[in-house]
Amino acid sequence: MKASCWWIALSAVVLLPEMSFAGIFGKKAPVPQWGLDAYKTKTPDYAHDANAVILYDEYVETIDAQGRTVEREREAIRILKPQGRGNTCAVGHDEDEKINYFRAWTIGADEKQYQAQDTDFVDVGDTDIPIMLSTYKVKVAHPPAIDVGAVVICESEEVMQPYIQEKDWQVQQGIPVVFEALEIDLPPGKAHFEAWHGAGSAKAVEVSPNHWRWEMRDVHPLDLRDIPSHPEWSALAMRMSVQWGDAAVDGKDNEWKAIGAWVTKLESGRPEPTPEIATRVQTLIAGAPDFYTKLSRITGSIQNEIRYFIVLRGIGGLQAHYAGDIYRNRYGDCKDKTTLLISMLQVAGIRAYYMPVDSRRGVVDPDDPSLLGNHMITAIEIPADVQDTRLQAVVKARDGKRYLIFDPTNERTPAGDLPAYEQGGYGLLAAGDASQVMQLPILTPDASGAERVGEFKLTADGLLTGSVETTRMGDEGGDVRQTLKQEDQKELHDGLERSLGQDIPGVSLIGFKYDEPKDLDKPVKLHYELSAQQYARQAGPLLLVRPRVVGSDVLPSDNKTRTVPIDLEATGHWHDSYDIALPEGYAVDEMPDPVNLEMDFASYHSSVTSKGKTLHYERDYKVKEVELPSGRAQDFRKLESTILTDEKSTVVLKRQ
Amino acid sequence: MKIRLGLAVAVVFAAFAHSLPVLAQFQAPTQEELQMTSEPKAPGASAIYLYREEVDDDTLHFESYYARIKVLTEKGKELATVNIPYSRRNYTITDIKARTIHPDGTIYPLDVKPSDLVEEKSKDFQVNKMVFTLPNVGVGSILEYRWQLRYDDQWDVPPDWDVQGPYFVRKSHYSFKPSRDIESVTDGNGNALGKLLYSSMLPPNEQVNLDKLSRKYTLEVADMPAIPNEDYMPPMNTLKAQVIFYYSAYFNKDEYWQHTGSKWSKEMNAFADESKGLKQAVSQLIAPTDSEEVKARKLYDAVMALDNTDFTREKSKAEMKSEHIKPAKDADDVWTHKSGSSDEIALLYLAMLRIAGIKSYAAVVSNRNRVVFNSYFMSMGQFDDVLVLATIDGKEIALDPGAKFSPFGELDWRHAMTAAMRQSDKGVEFSNTAGIPYKQAVTSRIADITIAKDGSVAGTVRISMAGPAALQWRHRAIRNDEDEVKKQFNEYLKGILPDGVQGDFDHFLALEDYHSQLMGIAKISGSLGTTTGKRVFLPGEFFDSHAKLPFVAEEKREMPVDMQYSEAVVDDVTYHLPDGFTVESAPPDAKIPWASYAALGTKSKVDKSTVVLTRTFIRGFSMLAAKDYPALRDFYQKVAAADQQQLVLEQAAVASAKN
Repeated sequence: MKASCWWIALSAVVLLPEMSFAGIFGKKAPVPQWGLDAYKTKTPDYAHDANAVILYDEYVETIDAQGRTVEREREAIRILKPQGRGNTCAVGHDEDEKINYFRAWTIGADEKQYQAQDTDFVDVGDTDIPIMLSTYKVKVAHPPAIDVGAVVICESEEVMQPYIQEKDWQVQQGIPVVFEALEIDLPPGKAHFEAWHGAGSAKAVEVSPNHWRWEMRDVHPLDLRDIPSHPEWSALAMRMSVQWGDAAVDGKDNEWKAIGAWVTKLESGRPEPTPEIATRVQTLIAGAPDFYTKLSRITGSIQNEIRYFIVLRGIGGLQAHYAGDIYRNRYGDCKDKTTLLISMLQVAGIRAYYMPVDSRRGVVDPDDPSLLGNHMITAIEIPADVQDTRLQAVVKARDGKRYLIFDPTNERTPAGDLPAYEQGGYGLLAAGDASQVMQLPILTPDASGAERVGEFKLTADGLLTGSVETTRMGDEGGDVRQTLKQEDQKELHDGLERSLGQDIPGVSLIGFKYDEPKDLDKPVKLHYELSAQQYARQAGPLLLVRPRVVGSDVLPSDNKTRTVPIDLEATGHWHDSYDIALPEGYAVDEMPDPVNLEMDFASYHSSVTSKGKTLHYERDYKVKEVELPSGRAQDFRKLESTILTDEKSTVVLKRQ
Repeated sequence: MKIRLGLAVAVVFAAFAHSLPVLAQFQAPTQEELQMTSEPKAPGASAIYLYREEVDDDTLHFESYYARIKVLTEKGKELATVNIPYSRRNYTITDIKARTIHPDGTIYPLDVKPSDLVEEKSKDFQVNKMVFTLPNVGVGSILEYRWQLRYDDQWDVPPDWDVQGPYFVRKSHYSFKPSRDIESVTDGNGNALGKLLYSSMLPPNEQVNLDKLSRKYTLEVADMPAIPNEDYMPPMNTLKAQVIFYYSAYFNKDEYWQHTGSKWSKEMNAFADESKGLKQAVSQLIAPTDSEEVKARKLYDAVMALDNTDFTREKSKAEMKSEHIKPAKDADDVWTHKSGSSDEIALLYLAMLRIAGIKSYAAVVSNRNRVVFNSYFMSMGQFDDVLVLATIDGKEIALDPGAKFSPFGELDWRHAMTAAMRQSDKGVEFSNTAGIPYKQAVTSRIADITIAKDGSVAGTVRISMAGPAALQWRHRAIRNDEDEVKKQFNEYLKGILPDGVQGDFDHFLALEDYHSQLMGIAKISGSLGTTTGKRVFLPGEFFDSHAKLPFVAEEKREMPVDMQYSEAVVDDVTYHLPDGFTVESAPPDAKIPWASYAALGTKSKVDKSTVVLTRTFIRGFSMLAAKDYPALRDFYQKVAAADQQQLVLEQAAVASAKN
């Protein structure tokens, strides 16, 4: 199921739970020759660990003179393991697409052949997400006898959406692919351009006039299951995009420019302000002393007043509603929120543009121009004379113009800031002829993070009582605001208690209070009081105390050989300062050594000191990058092991 | 909230002239409703229903629904989108009206056409969702909407009133007008269902009323709390407040269960009928000289060896046709096919026991993970799986041959301590299955670990399991290949090993031998201890040292605690010390009893170069009343504290200097 508010998808083998069957394209026919040939393919050695293997997968895109595409897919999948039985074929379709036929067969492990009947197909709607209205459906084939050793063979033909002039080919899958191919059959004189993402590529062969074919063999699966701190699967998997519409132009910059121009045209007129919008904006910006104030009042109003609700209906998966409708109904999805923002900024005399992105960092690839993505944000042009340090998420276009990148769908991140999951990714500035792909900014560590200050009292029986004040700013503060929005009081209490329980088993949360300022650029504070029996462990005359009382900064890591990049999640600055008043009759016998680790992508400093009857723990942690190449795995491990060791470190108190 | 359960016979009157359906009208909100920011009776609630109304009418064949909701927090705005699932082939949804009212009284009507979306569609059925979202919704808004569901004249649909849901309801009104020609109501097989009954699970002061003149059943409920949301809750299906109406052939529940039970029993016996083929098979499987228990065990092993299609896959009609086989109509067919569902295999076993001369009965249980059986709700849908009750050497035992790899005499935990309908000498009756004793569910975790001076460790972990834990892994091994099960075991190890220690699964022992304990063996390595200049600190509780114990944090409890099954976990951890280190302090021996319910015992034994730490955790209960929660929490808090003990090693030079 998709949860995207701007949507261009890749087709893939689907793994679905068992369900009942139905369909309409079960014409009686024998297994076609290509299917019989595919069935004879031996399972390669590299596939033996997989649940299933794709023996054959071929797409043929036939484009008519009007640019309408008919897609034929032929696919054969061998089931290798019991848990692979859910692998089958599926055809996604929206209200402006049509499935001409969809047939499926199975050749069982005993070589018997079966054809799927009407009752073996089911249409599954996109209705799982309560805040979404989607007309998209997936027709899934469940032919008989899908068991270990069987081969599922499917053939389908679908008339695609008339406005899409590209094919995004998912070359790499979660299971191995022995052979796959893509063909595009273009009208005479129609150009095409291709681009690849990930490791690997193939050259096109012209099999007949302006009919092109790419073939790939032995594509290994991308399995990230046991790899800690990995980037998104879709950011790493190999794929190819081919353009044959206006974006079929030479040079990647030109392709991006053409795609951006298409998006500009698609959304043209949508942001047109209505009198109601104009009135609202004038009210909002009245008396605003500067650009930032004007901007943040408008962004804040959209963030606060426009409820997030996704509408995907045919081209509505890409095209926004009109600003007037969005404003009147006070709801919309990412492209709607961007539309209303552009509209309101236009009234305020600020230029802004659509920017398609993907919320999964790394999916949009500057070397692979396409519409592929799942989200829409806003690029706001900053006037040349405006210099304001609050505008942090700023990028510069080729023409020297500066743009503030802002995500109006994220209701908790203030203007000037950018959610961590978007930082470092790429987006398409859809600004007509000035369209271009841009890297989204990576903010400095001080733009986000947390400060935890705790004061505790320890008694000789190990009881720890005290309070903690946590101040979260930037994107991290936004995350807390989101939690406060989504959870009721009981859920907040239980969640906090659970979180503390991971650091201190047996902890009791005595009370808590959030302070959430209305202004999004102000930090969110949390004050709580706790009590933990036997926090300090008695060991004969010793009392063992962990000075890092609450909060963990460790990311998952392991010692295995690393081939994929490391996702550090977010830049930020985290600082902890805890004072623990020691019990009478005890003195410090031993303390952990200070920790000082400086790396180019992160720094970690920690120290424990004792002054009088108080133990003081202080640590400072900064992350400066959002992703590291796989070659830096050793450094990443060193950082994580340093943090883990420090978090577990113990102070030894001795009875006097 | 106390709930009173009842079953009533509804009185049916002759048909009266009927009126046209009247839709609930939108109501003008009161000032209090407009201005309210919280509900004292539902503190912290994100939204509440000010009013909810459901009108069901089997004379005019419609259901109408009306709701007025107050949004109190941002989270409450999620109620602005309304999803109405319905069967597209039997029903239509009409007359949808909706509006939003702001705290200042401004009204914003729904002016976008609701979308009728396919949820699942096949040749045989189509389930759609009617979806609409209200305009201009903010915190403080009142959401108001209504719709009608209509169905064909030949259908009669007695309603289920879900009186209690996820939100507090200030006031609700329900009404039901049954079919005016009730004597002609039949089930799908043409059997007359000429009586109207209802089951109700309601707070003490609430009851269903009948207006004899209009023939309407009505219910008014005030201040209905939301269904609690707590960890380890039992299934809520029959525990929440509700009313269910039935067109029935019977006058009361006893009559219903008597007839339904009798029919069920006949079906069981018919399927488990003896046949020539089965007699021959049994004679080959057992010897006349075998004791009853030996016979029962031999037959149990024979049916357990069959392909249980609930764990593998059921053949499609096309495959069966191709193989010239028909769906099993009785136990003989199951034996011939060497394949069947869990229930079919259980009934095959019943047939074989009877042929072997062992007194045996069929029973059907409510699966504990799905439903708490309640006889007031008249539905066989409350029952799930078939067990066999065999009398061996004069003692009746429950057997679970349908639960693949369940050892003889042991039940899948979902079938234990739950309600059953069973055959008996006296006919069909209700009973309960026994719980799983903790001695039958022992997990033993043995670690042998060598510690280096820098705190790094290497060693092995052996985990042996009996009872539900072993059964769960064996079921995974049927549904997945061994590589996948190994991966899952590694993920399980990750959850129980200390931070910094990695497990690398090596092999299983007795994965498919359900007569034996299952054992998983793994190698471990990594960094376990923390060090200072002169000491190394190791966790006294090696396993689960970073796991979160339940109930420690949550202070209050509304619902009973359901922990599935009782169990014992015995840990035995041997640390081999690094050269030059001695034990400065070992975790003290501890005993934390909770009489009749649970206990924790820890011991440490220090030798010259080794330390052996043992920990025995016994939880002798699986279900617990909410009133016992304070004691439960106290116990788990003590366990959590005890598990924090550490082993302190000291450099020998330091130790000798002190001496």
